[in-house]
Amino acid sequence: MADLFSTFSIAASGMDAQSRRMRHVAENIANADTPGYRRKTIDFIAQLDRARGVTTVATGPVKLDRGELPRVYDPGHALADEDGYYLGSTVSTMIEMADAREAGRSYEANLAMFDQARQMSQSLIDLLRR
Amino acid sequence: MQIPSSLAISGYDRARDAAQPGPTPARAEAAFGQAVGGVVSGLHANEQAATASMVSGADPHALVQALADTELAVQTAVSVRDRVVEAYLEILRMPV
Repeated sequence: MADLFSTFSIAASGMDAQSRRMRHVAENIANADTPGYRRKTIDFIAQLDRARGVTTVATGPVKLDRGELPRVYDPGHALADEDGYYLGSTVSTMIEMADAREAGRSYEANLAMFDQARQMSQSLIDLLRR
Repeated sequence: MQIPSSLAISGYDRARDAAQPGPTPARAEAAFGQAVGGVVSGLHANEQAATASMVSGADPHALVQALADTELAVQTAVSVRDRVVEAYLEILRMPV
């Protein structure tokens, strides 16, 4: 039974990590047109929970994309230099959409684990009742 | 064959030690009490987590996890109690 309870905390940590990832994806998409914005990424880190003896997942510090900012030609833009270019953001909406979809799928997987553990412990209790 | 009385006495002594009942097993009540105590302390922790997520907007995943933990712990405790009460009633119904 203790293992099933640990499964809850592990799945919850996975869902937490994926929702944080989703949050940064949302920030990136919201700032896709912000000049000079660098896309944010986070790493996932395996973390040993010593109190329960289980390995959960945690999110690392936010990292900024180190790639070069693209030069966008728009002479009418307020930030444009004398050649008519300004520095855009490093966000690619397509990549962010793929990332968001992946975060959603991982979240669903963790949710399914949670539900499965819950059903298992529920049927164990039902067995006790009989 | 002659057996010295001192040998007989020491042998008897050893036999008496071997026939002693072992340490009394932990009583069922104590074990049950410990289990219930664990459930209650778990409930307190989960209640605090639920309150924290309601009041300070803490992680909703922690809330869901705390609620699932609480639900299963309470169901386990209630099921065990039902079985104990059932067994007790069974003893009461015994024809005397």
